[in-house]
Amino acid sequence: MPASTSEKPVSVSRFQEKGFRFLGLTFQDVIRYFFGGNASLAIVALLLICVFLIREAWLFFPTHRHDLAIFRQTGVEYVDLMLQEGIAHKEAYTLLNQAYLAELNEPSQSVAAILLAHQQVALEVSKANQRTVDDWKKADDAGKVALRTRWVEGAEKALDQNETWNVEVARFEWTGDLRQKMRQAVLEEGPGGDEKSPFIAELEERKAQIFAETSERLKPFNAIKLAFRNAGRPLDALTDELAKIAKENRELASTFSSAPERKEALLEGAAMETDPVIKARKVAEAEAIVMVAPDYASLTRPFYDSVPKHDAVNTALRSDLAGILATFPEPGTLQTELGRKNLRLAHKSTEQLLGKLKLAAADVKAWRHDAKVGFGAAVTSFFFGKRWITNSSWQDFYGVLPLFSGSLIIALIAMVVAVPFSIASAIYVNQLASFKEQSFVKPTIEFIGAIPSVVLGFFGIMVLGTTLRDVSQLEWLSWVPGFPMQERLTMLNAGLLLAFMAIPTIFTLAEDAINNVPHAFTESSFALGATKLQTVFRVILPTALSGIIAAILLGFGRIIGETMVVLLVAGNKIQIPDFNAGLGVIAQPAHTMTGIIAQELGEVERGSLHWRALFMVGMVLFVISLIINYIAQWVVKRFHKV
Amino acid sequence: MKVLMNETDPNQTEAGSQVNSEANNAGPRSVIDVEQVSFAYDGKKEVLRDVSMKIRERQVTAFIGPSGCGKTTLLRCFNRMNDLIPTAALTKGRIRILESDIYAREVDPIELRKCVGMVFQKYNPFPKSIYENVAYGLRIAGVQKKSVLDETVESSLRHAGLWEEVKDRLDSSGLGLSGGQQQRLCIARTIAVKPEIILMDEPCSALDPISTTRIEELITQLKKDFTIVIVTHSMQQATRVSDRTAFFYLGNLIEMDDTTKIFTSPAERQTEDYISGKFG
Repeated sequence: MPASTSEKPVSVSRFQEKGFRFLGLTFQDVIRYFFGGNASLAIVALLLICVFLIREAWLFFPTHRHDLAIFRQTGVEYVDLMLQEGIAHKEAYTLLNQAYLAELNEPSQSVAAILLAHQQVALEVSKANQRTVDDWKKADDAGKVALRTRWVEGAEKALDQNETWNVEVARFEWTGDLRQKMRQAVLEEGPGGDEKSPFIAELEERKAQIFAETSERLKPFNAIKLAFRNAGRPLDALTDELAKIAKENRELASTFSSAPERKEALLEGAAMETDPVIKARKVAEAEAIVMVAPDYASLTRPFYDSVPKHDAVNTALRSDLAGILATFPEPGTLQTELGRKNLRLAHKSTEQLLGKLKLAAADVKAWRHDAKVGFGAAVTSFFFGKRWITNSSWQDFYGVLPLFSGSLIIALIAMVVAVPFSIASAIYVNQLASFKEQSFVKPTIEFIGAIPSVVLGFFGIMVLGTTLRDVSQLEWLSWVPGFPMQERLTMLNAGLLLAFMAIPTIFTLAEDAINNVPHAFTESSFALGATKLQTVFRVILPTALSGIIAAILLGFGRIIGETMVVLLVAGNKIQIPDFNAGLGVIAQPAHTMTGIIAQELGEVERGSLHWRALFMVGMVLFVISLIINYIAQWVVKRFHKV
Repeated sequence: MKVLMNETDPNQTEAGSQVNSEANNAGPRSVIDVEQVSFAYDGKKEVLRDVSMKIRERQVTAFIGPSGCGKTTLLRCFNRMNDLIPTAALTKGRIRILESDIYAREVDPIELRKCVGMVFQKYNPFPKSIYENVAYGLRIAGVQKKSVLDETVESSLRHAGLWEEVKDRLDSSGLGLSGGQQQRLCIARTIAVKPEIILMDEPCSALDPISTTRIEELITQLKKDFTIVIVTHSMQQATRVSDRTAFFYLGNLIEMDDTTKIFTSPAERQTEDYISGKFG
């Protein structure tokens, strides 16, 4: 056998590769690497973004720690404790004052409304007769008679117009012969007429009288209110005095920490200088920069000295407030809903204030300027810090909690609204709608996703905000938590718009999930005598549940990362929402994590603490999205095979 | 009383009269009367033409014929599963089940399907526990009493010969069973509703030979209590399980007779060609 093979060499030509190789690669290989390259490019981009975010953000904590150390060493922290006491006191006072004002204005409200309506009607009339009014100023006595007639004619014409009577006054309507009286009053006034018609004069007098009577009646309340405010005076005085010292200390500290930089800059400048005189001066200037750390112990001495004084002030304030709190009027004795509500809030807030003051007293006593600021403190003061204050003349705080809570509440509102709507629509479109309805409803809902978010935000400001506020002021809707709303731009407004944006996402994914339920399940359910609805609720929804949950989670991710709408519509008030309002918290404005980045990143100095803080917020958002997506994928995998 | 009649084809009429004489002798009453039924999915092209037959109580009737002959379509007419396709409808004729016209206007398909159960080609238990799969039909009928549910689940599973295998894991998913067990679970699910008639659409085509044997044994037992109509591609299966066999070809019912007769001395040439494997 070997002999025969050697005679006939093995030929490969028959099975030889067709085409040519380039760099050892066939055409198939090239195509394969091209597509593979495209896929890996996306992954590389994701990695780059992660690396970039982490690189910029991680330096936040050391820098923040340094900042907090200065905050403590210079004693600014000490004074800040007192400042917070004062702020809490003023917040409680504001509520009390609002209760008082509501009570004060209520009795004369109906008269005041008529006067306000009069002002608006008179303004409309004089606008309609602008020329007559202008001519009157230039006219002589003879002309004035004619102008008076012209004015009366013009005014009557204007008063015949219905629009003239459309006034924007809360809780006011043209009842009875009010319109007739008003007409007469307006005609009696104007150029050449009475300064004030008897009707209006009488109303004004009545208003003043009622007001005087009410103030007389509310005198005890007023006294309580003023006592409450004045109780805080000694604390404020002490705080002001110490704050001056603290600011000076901080000045010194920042001069010291920037000293090496300034020295280096001067020396560099000197090296470049050719003129020996200027050069010598610059060098001398550089040498003169003090590099010795300020003596914080002696700088903070006044604070330690003030501890007994603060203790006395604090104790006095607490006993004063407790005494005043006992004399608060019963909410039941107040006449207005707003007054009662604010008084209750003031009561609650004062009780909380007393607790806070007690804690603050202990904190002030325990404060030490040389206590170490750990790395943990830098971390916790970011994640659990209740204040986000930047560009402040006092002290910047970078606590993410106000932003996080804003984002979270808005997202929750949006989910509460969007989930039922989108799931119901998905069931309807996939199971109940006729083919015609399906082919109309589905693309329409999906189109919502194509609306640019800035357009929605614009709509939220111009239309939804105003409408919501007006609707919330309807008498019969006052049971809704948060109603009546004072603001136009609120978390509710933003939440509703975001719900609208999340609907197409949740709808499309949930519809897919329902559509993926094998037809065999539906069929056998029908064969067992189930109705359409029984089949939907007992077979289709349970089977599609994992897909639906994933849809909801991805919708949530979509919402929490949305920026434009919340920036425009949420009201941008950096504050932890006041949960004393219960569910009514939704009517408050808030700021969000996404909004703050969009708003502030353009204006901060690159590499500054503020800049890094914004990157940290970005990191938090990134991690939240990552977790949500991970859970969504896990849910799908976990429950896919029932 | 004519059991089989096809007016369009004189040959068939002859065949029909042959069957006729036999039918008159047979005792069991008929539960499904198909009277000159034509059926189209799109309203125009008829996939069943002028089919008439009677299906007898407590017997197994097999439908055989090559693919596309309309046997499954006719089966799905019996519980109006074809209603799920919007344009599909009878174009002619009447189907009476237990003396009632099931396509009459006032008939509720839901009620009909409680009486006419169905087992599908591909076993399709719900993604629920074994217990819930069997209890499903009762639950949607509004039965809530635990004792009734427990009792019915057990008796249905016993009836389907599955009880001994699953009694310890009633709460585990029905999808965790083997293919043959899943199909028997589907049968248990169907008989739990206590229908009069069970339709089976190629119930063994997705199963291995051993599982197939078990299902076939089961069918033989079930016919004591139910009237069974089975569509099958396997002629051997038809001979093993059925009492009567109907042969369909291109939408026509060619011949219907006792199974032994169809497979030993068919009256029609086409039937003979099909069972001897000349086409199929």
